[in-house]
Amino acid sequence: MRSVYLLLLSVHFGFVLGLWPLPRSLQTGTSTLRLAPNFGIDIDDAHAPADLKEAISRTKAFLKSDKLGRLVVGRGAEDSDALQRAKSLETLKLSLAHGAPARSITDEARLAIGTRREEYELHVPVDGSAATLIANSTLGLFRGLTTFEQLWYEWAGQIYTVEAPISISDSPAYPFRGFMLDTSRNFFPVSDIKRTLDAMSWVKMSQFHWHVTDSQSFPLEVPGFTDLASKGAYSSSMVYSPSDVRDIVSYAGARGIDVMIEIDTPGHTAIISAAHPEHVACAQASPWGTFANEPPAGQLRLASAATTNFTANLLAAVARMSPSTLLSTGGDELNTECYAQDPETQADLKATNRTLEQALDIFTRTTHAAIRAEGKTPAVWEEMVLEHNVTLGNDTVVMVWISSANAAAVAAKNFRIVHGPSDFFYLDCGAGEWIGDDVANSWCDPFKTWQKSYTFDPLANISASQAHLVLGGEQLLWTEQSGPENLDSIVWPRAASSAEVFWSGPGGNLSTALPRLHDVAFRMRQRGVKAIQLQPLWCALRPGQCNIDS
Amino acid sequence: MKLLALAVLLATAYSPVLALWPQPQSIETGSSTLRLAPGFQITVTGHGVPGDLLAAVGRTKKALFSDKLGRLVVGRGAADAPTFAQAKSLSRLTLTLGKGASFASITSEAQKAPEDRDEAYHLVLPADGSGATITANSTLGLFRGLTTFSQLWYEHGNTVYTVNAPVTIQDAPAYPYRGFMLDTARNYFPVDDIKRTLDAMSLVKINQFHWHAVDSQSFPLVIPGFTDLSDKGAYSSEQVYTVSDVRDIVSYAGARGIDVMVEIDTPGHTAIISQAHPDFVACAEASPWATYANEPPAGQLRFVNPDVTSYIGDLFSAAVKLFPSTMFSTGGDELNTKCYDIDEPTQSALNASGSTLEQALDVFTQKTHKVLEDKGKTPVVWEEMVLVHNVTLSKETKVIVWISSENVKAVVEKGYKLIHGASDYFYLDCGGGGWVGANPSGNSWCDPFKTWQHAYSFDPVANLTAEESKLILGGQHLLWAEQSGPQNLDPVVWPRAASSAELFWSGPGGNASAALPRLHDLSYRLRQRGVNAIALQPEWCALRPGACDLTA
Repeated sequence: MRSVYLLLLSVHFGFVLGLWPLPRSLQTGTSTLRLAPNFGIDIDDAHAPADLKEAISRTKAFLKSDKLGRLVVGRGAEDSDALQRAKSLETLKLSLAHGAPARSITDEARLAIGTRREEYELHVPVDGSAATLIANSTLGLFRGLTTFEQLWYEWAGQIYTVEAPISISDSPAYPFRGFMLDTSRNFFPVSDIKRTLDAMSWVKMSQFHWHVTDSQSFPLEVPGFTDLASKGAYSSSMVYSPSDVRDIVSYAGARGIDVMIEIDTPGHTAIISAAHPEHVACAQASPWGTFANEPPAGQLRLASAATTNFTANLLAAVARMSPSTLLSTGGDELNTECYAQDPETQADLKATNRTLEQALDIFTRTTHAAIRAEGKTPAVWEEMVLEHNVTLGNDTVVMVWISSANAAAVAAKNFRIVHGPSDFFYLDCGAGEWIGDDVANSWCDPFKTWQKSYTFDPLANISASQAHLVLGGEQLLWTEQSGPENLDSIVWPRAASSAEVFWSGPGGNLSTALPRLHDVAFRMRQRGVKAIQLQPLWCALRPGQCNIDS
Repeated sequence: MKLLALAVLLATAYSPVLALWPQPQSIETGSSTLRLAPGFQITVTGHGVPGDLLAAVGRTKKALFSDKLGRLVVGRGAADAPTFAQAKSLSRLTLTLGKGASFASITSEAQKAPEDRDEAYHLVLPADGSGATITANSTLGLFRGLTTFSQLWYEHGNTVYTVNAPVTIQDAPAYPYRGFMLDTARNYFPVDDIKRTLDAMSLVKINQFHWHAVDSQSFPLVIPGFTDLSDKGAYSSEQVYTVSDVRDIVSYAGARGIDVMVEIDTPGHTAIISQAHPDFVACAEASPWATYANEPPAGQLRFVNPDVTSYIGDLFSAAVKLFPSTMFSTGGDELNTKCYDIDEPTQSALNASGSTLEQALDVFTQKTHKVLEDKGKTPVVWEEMVLVHNVTLSKETKVIVWISSENVKAVVEKGYKLIHGASDYFYLDCGGGGWVGANPSGNSWCDPFKTWQHAYSFDPVANLTAEESKLILGGQHLLWAEQSGPQNLDPVVWPRAASSAELFWSGPGGNASAALPRLHDLSYRLRQRGVNAIALQPEWCALRPGACDLTA
C-alpha cells in the first residue's frame, strides 16, 4: 500500500513547512536559506514549451508576492538572526529526465487518466548551490514548481526557509484529484472559474469537473445547438461561448488541469424544453416534488428515437468542444413518475414494446456511442450502475455521490470509481434548506468540515484486487445557494482537503495538517482567493493549541 | 396585539413587485407606471438642514440611478417597457420635517436611547408625476423614508421606474432595537469591511451595531491610557482600531441612522489581557483549555482582586469616551468557575475577605457598572448575569439573550429590558462545522445552520404576557468570527441578517413565501452596491416567485 509512505512521513514532518499536499517523501534540515534577490529559474531545454515558461514566470512572481509570514507568534521575527548568516539560493534548475518528451504541460495534463506523469524530484541544498527539479514530464516539472513556491516564507523583505536542505521525491497516490462546479443553478463568470482553476493548481488538483448545465439554466453555447443557450441561459450575458470554453480549457491545461465537461442526461434537463419542448417530459410539472428532487421538473424523453438522436448529436458536439478524454453524461436522479405521466413516453414505450429501463439502456448506449466516436470515455453518476440496468463500456468512469457506502458496490461491478460522496465531499451541505416556505435543514446536513473530508478512506470496503479501480476523488459544489459572492469562501480551503487525501494518500494526521492548511489559506488570500479562516488567528499562530485535547 | 394585527393585514395586501425590505407598517399601491425624470431632484425644506441628511440625500440620488435592478421576473422588466412611453415622470422628492420639529443631525437622533428614537415617516408618491413627499418628525425618520424611497424603483433599458404608482406609506418600527453584532476579536475585520456592513445594515433599517470588539483571542481596540492592551494583544500593529478608526466608524454609522454599542466582555473572555497584565488574569492559556473555558484560550479576569476591579472601571471609563451611545455592554457570559478554583491569588483573596466567588462577582459588577452609570450610560449584559449569577444590576440594565430563546421569559420575569439574540434563531455562524483541531466529527455547537426562514419565523413575544412584552426592545443577528474574516463576512451575513431586520421593524408573523421575492430583490440590490450577498436560490427560482416553494 502506497499510503504507508504518508504514515512514515508524518513522523519526520516539520510543521513550519507550508506544503500542501504533503509530498510522498520529504527530508528536511534545520538551516536557514534565503532566496537571492536575483534568484532565477533556469531550464536546460531552450525548446521548453510556452506553458512551462509561463509557469516559471508565475512561480517567480509568487515567490516575491506571496509575502507569507510564518504562522507563529511573531510571524518570523525570531528568524532574523539566522537570516543574517544564511546562504543565498540563486538558481533553481529544471530538467526533464533523459528521454522524457518536451510536450506542453497542457498536453500532458490531458492524457487519459492513469497515464499522466506527475512525479518529480526536488533538491534544495543547504549551501546555496543550485536547487534542482527533475521530472519525467513538463507536468511533473509544473507540480515541482508548485511545491517549490510553498517552501518559502517572508520576513522583513527576506524570502527564506528554515528547513534547508530539502529533498523531495513526489508523485500522486491517485490520478483524479478533482473539483466539481455546477454553473447551472447559478452562473459563474469566466474570471471566477479561472480563479478557481488557479487555486486548484496550487494544491495540485488535476481535474476540473464542469457540471455546466442542469434543469435551471443552459449556459453552454454549443455549436449547432445554440438555441439551448439562447433560450435557456439566464441571460445573454450569462453564457459560456465556444471561445470562453477554449479559454477555460487552455487556462486549465496550462495549470496541469484537465476539464471534464458534464451534460447531465436524461434527467436534470428541464431547461432544454425552452428551446425544444418536444424533447422534454414533465417540463415544469407541478407539484415539482412528485417529478423531481428539486424544481423545476423536466427530463429528456429517453424513449423517443428523435430525442435520443438529438441528445447523441448534442453530446457529440459538446465532445468536440473539449480536448479531455473524459465526458460526463450524468445519469443521476432519474424520476420515473415523470415518465409514467408523460403520454408521449408511454406511447413510445408501447410502440416499441419496451420497458422504461430497456429504453434507458438504448438511450445510454446510443449517446455513449456518439461520444466514443469523438474519442471520449464516458463518465456517469453511480445510479447508472447501481439502480439501472444499462449497458456500459468497461472503461466507464463511475462517480459515487449518494453515499460513500456505495463505492464498494460500484467496485464489485468492476467499474472505475471517482469518489465524490455527499457524506464527505459535498461543499454545499449544512447551509440550510433553500426551497421556499420551508424551514428545514440541508438534505445532506451537517456541514462537511475539512477534517471530515480529510479522514476519508478511498479504499474502505474495497478489496486489494479492486483497489486499482479507484481513480481518485473530488469535492463538489452544487450551487443552489452559491454564486460568485461565496464561491471562494465555500470552496477554500476546504477543497484542499481531498486534494491532499488523493495526492498524499489517506491516513494523514489532522493535527499536523492543520498548520499547513492555515498556510495554504493564507497563501491563497495573498493570491486573491478568498479562502476563509478555519480558526481564530490566535489558533493559527499557535499550532496545536486549539486542538480538542490541548 | 397591535403590531401583530398590522403584519397580518399587510401580508394580505402584499404586492410582490415592490422590493421593499423591511415591509412598511402600512402601504397602499396602485398599478400605474411612473418613471424617474433624468434630472430628478431631492430637496429638503427649511433652514439649517444637517450635513448628514444632505449627504444621505446625495447617496440616495446616486443609488437611484446606479442600482440598476431589473425586476426579478422572467424577462427582467421587458414586459414593462411598452408602458414607459405613456408613463408620467417624477422630477422631485421633497423632505419635510413635521410641524414643531426642529433639525438635528441623523447622527444625534440615532444615538439616542433606543426607546427615544423617532423613526416614523410618511411617504407619498403620486401617480401623476407631481412631487413626491416624505414627512417625519425627525431627520432619522426622513432618512428611513429615503431608504424606502430608494427601494421603490426598478430599471430596464436605462429607465428607472415603478409599476405600482401611486404609493402611500405610513411607517414606523415595531421595535426600537434592530441590531447586528460583529465579533472583531476572533478574527480581525478592517474598517472598510465594517463600513460596508454598516451600509448594508442601513439599507434594511437596522439601527444598532453591537460591536463585540475584544475577546480572549485578541484586543484590537486602542483605548487611550490603556494602549498596552492593544499593543500586546492585537494580532498585529495593523490589526487594531485606533481612536480615529473608532471615530470614523461611529460617525459613519451615525450618519446612516446606526448607533454603535461597544462591548468589552468581562470578566470572562479576557485571556488576552494577560499579555499586558499577567497579574490580572486567572488561568491564562491554561491547559486543557476545555476545563477552563468554552474555547481556547482560557483566561478570565481576577475580579476578586480590587486592583483588577478598579482597573476595569478605569478601562470602561476610558472606553466610554470613544462611544457616544447611551449603551455599553460589559458582557458577562460564560464565566468558568474552575478557572478560579485553581487560581491561587483568587482563592487567597476570597479566603482573606471571607466572601464567595458569587459575592465577589457582585462587587465587581456593581463597581464597574457604577462607573458607566455615573457617566450616564446604561449597562448591557449577556443573560447569565441575570439567570446564572446572583449579581445586583440596576433595573435599567438591558439583557441580551443568547443561549436559547427559551430563556427569554425568565429574563423578563425579572423585570429587565431584553434584546433578542438567541443562538437557536440568530447565530449566523452555526452550521459551519467544528473549528477546534483534531476533531474530525465536530459539528458546530449550535447546529444546524439558521436559515433566513427560520429566523423570520421567530416570535419576539412567545409565551410572554402583555406586560412582559413591553420589555422587549428588539433583537439582532450575531456573527461570532471563529471561522469568519473579511473573506466571508458578506456571504455569511447577507441577506440573512435582513431577516431579523424585517422581523423587528415590521413585526413578527410575516409570510415567508411573500417575503422571499422581496429578499431576492434586496440581495440583488446589495450586490449591486458592492455587498457580496449570497444567492438564496437558483436564479431560476428568483425569477419565478413561488415556483420553488415546498408545495409549488
